[in-house]
Amino acid sequence: MSSSRGSLPRYIAVRTLLVIPMMWVLLTMVFILLRVAPGDPVTAAAGGKLSADEIARRQAALGLDQPLFQQYLDYLGDVVRFRFGNAISDGTPVTTLIRDHGGATLTLTIGAFIFAVGVGVPLGRWAGRHRDTIIDAPIRLLGIVVYAAPVFWMGILLILLIGNLWPSWPTSGIASPQAIFEVPTHTHILLVDAAIDGTYFWDVLQHHLLPCFVLGLLLAGVIVRLVRINVIQTMQADYVEAARARGISERVVVRDHAFRNALVPVVTVIGLQVALTLSGAVLTENTFNWPGLGTDLVDYVIARDYVAVQGLVTFFALIVVIVSVVVDVINALIDPRVRY
Amino acid sequence: MVTAVKRKLGALLGVSVLAVGMAACSDTPPPASEDREPLGVNYSTGDPAADSSDEWTLGTTDTITAVDPAGAYDFGSWNLQYQMFQTLVSVPANGSEPEPDAASCAYDDPQTITCDLDEGLTFANGNELTSSDVKYSLERNIAINDPNGSAILLGSIIDDSNPDKPVLAKGAVETPDDTTVVFHLNKPDLTFLKVLSTATASIVDEEVYPANKELADTDEHSGSGPYVLAQYKDGVQATFELNENYAGPHPGIAPRVYVSYYKDDASLASDIKKGAIDIAWRSLSPTQQQGLADDGVAVLKGNGSEFRYWVWDMNEGAGTEAAVRQAVAQVLDRDQISANAYDGTVTPSYSIVPPGFGGQKDSFMDVYGDPDVDAATALLEDAGVETPVALKLGYPQEHYGPNAVDEATEIAEQLNDTGLFDVTTETGEWEQYQTDYKKDAYDLFMLGWYPDFLDADNYLSPFVVDGGFFANGYSNDEVNTLVDEELAETDEAARDEIIGQIQDIVAEDVPLIPSWNGANIAAVGEGMGGVQDTLDPTYIFRFWMITKS
Amino acid sequence: MALPGFGWTTRVWRTRGLARWMFWIGLAITAAFVVLAIFAPLIAPYGFAESRVDGVKLPKLAPPSSYFIFGTNDMFYDVFSRVVWGARTAMEVIVISVIFSVAIGVPLGLVAGFIGGVVDRVLVFLMDALYAFPSLLLAIVMAFLLNQKLGNGIVAAALSITVIYIPQYFRVVRNTTVSVREATYVEAARALGANPFTVMRKYLFGNVIQSVPVIGTLNAADALSTLAALGFLGMGIQPNEAAEWGYDLNRALDDPLIGVWWTGLFPGLAIVLLITGLTLVGEGLNETLNPALRRRRMLPVRFPARAGADERETEAGR
Repeated sequence: MSSSRGSLPRYIAVRTLLVIPMMWVLLTMVFILLRVAPGDPVTAAAGGKLSADEIARRQAALGLDQPLFQQYLDYLGDVVRFRFGNAISDGTPVTTLIRDHGGATLTLTIGAFIFAVGVGVPLGRWAGRHRDTIIDAPIRLLGIVVYAAPVFWMGILLILLIGNLWPSWPTSGIASPQAIFEVPTHTHILLVDAAIDGTYFWDVLQHHLLPCFVLGLLLAGVIVRLVRINVIQTMQADYVEAARARGISERVVVRDHAFRNALVPVVTVIGLQVALTLSGAVLTENTFNWPGLGTDLVDYVIARDYVAVQGLVTFFALIVVIVSVVVDVINALIDPRVRY
Repeated sequence: MVTAVKRKLGALLGVSVLAVGMAACSDTPPPASEDREPLGVNYSTGDPAADSSDEWTLGTTDTITAVDPAGAYDFGSWNLQYQMFQTLVSVPANGSEPEPDAASCAYDDPQTITCDLDEGLTFANGNELTSSDVKYSLERNIAINDPNGSAILLGSIIDDSNPDKPVLAKGAVETPDDTTVVFHLNKPDLTFLKVLSTATASIVDEEVYPANKELADTDEHSGSGPYVLAQYKDGVQATFELNENYAGPHPGIAPRVYVSYYKDDASLASDIKKGAIDIAWRSLSPTQQQGLADDGVAVLKGNGSEFRYWVWDMNEGAGTEAAVRQAVAQVLDRDQISANAYDGTVTPSYSIVPPGFGGQKDSFMDVYGDPDVDAATALLEDAGVETPVALKLGYPQEHYGPNAVDEATEIAEQLNDTGLFDVTTETGEWEQYQTDYKKDAYDLFMLGWYPDFLDADNYLSPFVVDGGFFANGYSNDEVNTLVDEELAETDEAARDEIIGQIQDIVAEDVPLIPSWNGANIAAVGEGMGGVQDTLDPTYIFRFWMITKS
Repeated sequence: MALPGFGWTTRVWRTRGLARWMFWIGLAITAAFVVLAIFAPLIAPYGFAESRVDGVKLPKLAPPSSYFIFGTNDMFYDVFSRVVWGARTAMEVIVISVIFSVAIGVPLGLVAGFIGGVVDRVLVFLMDALYAFPSLLLAIVMAFLLNQKLGNGIVAAALSITVIYIPQYFRVVRNTTVSVREATYVEAARALGANPFTVMRKYLFGNVIQSVPVIGTLNAADALSTLAALGFLGMGIQPNEAAEWGYDLNRALDDPLIGVWWTGLFPGLAIVLLITGLTLVGEGLNETLNPALRRRRMLPVRFPARAGADERETEAGR
């Protein structure tokens, strides 16, 4: 964080400019990893039925016969001009892919975050306040166990359980076939579109609850532990001790002093969880047949479809970077110690 | 139900605590496999189609590469296209020969086909369908030459003198009038009529589809098939509605059909079980089939054409020795592979051509009979091969599902048990595997095959001519000649005879070992009719045959 | 993991109450798995890929019984043996990946923190980018790269995971180094002309290494879940190379449909237990070793208030 004096807009501008080198590093990583990895997107096309000549011809058409450095320059050139191209393996334009599947990943992760923060923050705060008591121990343990349980395992157990308890509760997909067909498209985010239209809102929301809950559990496990630790840490800080010494009740100490300051690092770390969320989302999407980008990304990585992967990673990196900028700005606003 | 789950969970925790202590006592011999009831699926027969139908939902793990026929070469996309577009001819369910669809076609000679289009055909948008649309459809398919497309199947009418820019050969398709199309093939090709029945020859509207680029999936598509694609959401769902203008031989019954796309067959199985979808099709694992059948969901089985086989690397290593290849073919127990790795859901295969095709014969059964270790020992001894022969088996990771590992393990165990072989297994991730097997990484490697169209040749030309598409180094002049003869032979009996000869030679030469043939499986919910009838080796899911009451 | 002259064991021992209990429970769980891992050949009745005994195939999907206490799975393997051997796989992967990420992350962090300047900035930047990359994807791509060289075995899986955790060690070590570098005694050593390597080795390393066991145990837990995820997606260790819980879970996905619960429950429980155990140990270490979290025993403020502060300083004194 910059300590020089300046305006908030300027701080945001600088922070945003840093996005560019960050993206460059990420894109270079994508390029190197996918090009050094054995296998290529052409050989596997058409189920291996192509002749060697045909494969060579198609590789040439994609520029795969060029020197690696030339390919790298071409690749960066396209990104700079916002040409994300079409996925090699199925020809889908990457922008279409993001538009059509991004919404599902967005609502899944935001839903999970809401759940995780809603449950994780109060629990962590409660546990931190009552450190090493009969309240703390079970919350800590819960936080650890839900984090420890693999998302897919938890998901399957819940699908089985719910299948037995409420057989009519949906356990896969983002909405019923009728809802998907009938809900008019405005934003490409089905939940929002359904809310605008109204008729199928409950149907879509119902489909969201279980996947959001499962991914949310994983995140809640992390958040509980973080909030707890940070509350403990701040409660030991000198100014809190000073408040205590002034005879202020413990409850007020936590509410007014410890908790608010404890939130600063928590907001930061939650921002960093985007990468974890994404890994979790891949597995959640797989388990609940969720039409999101997470599974797309894995599929394209497997297909060595660097065009699609590059586009999707750019998109995700953008989100990571935006989140971290937002987090910094929020911190700057709530924490008087941060000077921008 | 709920209490049962809870009780189980409770009991489990108890068991796991005891486990460590008990482990040491379990050195008593395990009970033999025979003690348990064998696994097996009770397949249902399915109901016939009704006269009217509600809307219904098909769930599948197939993926869609493109809605435009010029951009796809996979079951998922083709099955969309079969509902939306007409082809000149089509293969009826469980039939083997193409029958009239948009036209009636016949060979004038092995290099010429003449088709007479039906009168009054229109596309869903009201435009007329004429011979010019037919020519245009093929022309653009070839010109677009999409790497994921299937124009490669149209080889007999392609001019590829410039390999970077293949075009429809001059004069290959003639349209003397609005209802006549004449094909002039560049070589005798009796399979071409079958190619014309596949989705690659879908007839599109020349006023809607651009000549040199594909229509995007979400654009409005217009065909002359029984259904129109009312909505398409990539990776999520396709919704079909009846085509009011349909004038072909098989009009649809259900007013609306949803196709839900699944990433994973586990969700597919659980959704058909709870009734969230009406049909789950094509990719149910052996365990899922059994579980669904046990739960009272009707699991239907039709003839399939999936073929799983093991290819010998004949460029180097143990596979160069004919006796070794033959000895393995001699001892392989296919019944055990089917039972142990696939719960008996697949059929042991004894020829590279699956049953149901003209000229098919179980050549491997004729040559080797039942598994016989002594015969194999003799084969190796006579050839002076030192035993045990070291063999490296390759199989692709995940690509053919988890049971592929089980198959590889089963084969390795069978071979090792003879004492004649010393087998190790190795896997590769699919993209890499395809490069590796061509680089002689394995002695014997697993591959799978679905035919492009139903003809015995589709199991011969790609496999046994000069190393096949897998470049395994096999080459036999006699086989090459026979394949050419078979392709040009108009007399069916004579052709079947040649195809039989090729299979016999292959069983002696053993460039590859057939393992099993897969069926066409669907699980259906209550009230579904007609599903059984469409389950055939083409894997075309004919929406127009299906009803829900 | 030996720690250079440091009274941390005593400190852990002195922790009171529930926290101590949780730490010891975690340690017990972890130790139990270590025992399973080391003595797997003695404890497991069958090999991890043993489907035949004396030419007779084991039963397929047999329910738990006195012969097979956790039952058998659809690969004809004994589930209990797979769980036990899986502990060995888990431990091997954890040990290899932690060793490698420490061996790469710690020196890099030391160098970056000590040298500072452009080197520092570039390294921090690279590591941040690596950290922002979705870890599971990184592991998948690394698995492609390594499987070709090393096969689908334990080493390849462990190394694929390693890459993800290097940035974490790097960050912590670098930050500690930066703050220690300014400490008076290090400044003094530098002023006296000690060569940079000596300073790093003698003065920085000892201080910096303290934070490693904490990250190490927490990362071990993470590494295990990434390993399981790779296995679950079918891109990890093959069943005939080693027993791996995530892969077994993948195989068990369909089994509940036919009323088979034992194939999925036990590997899943093993993952949950071991990760919980490792995390309890890691958090326990963190709470006792991290000065900011360490419980102050003189909480009620009494006069003279200096007593509490004095004790703290003695404890933290190095």
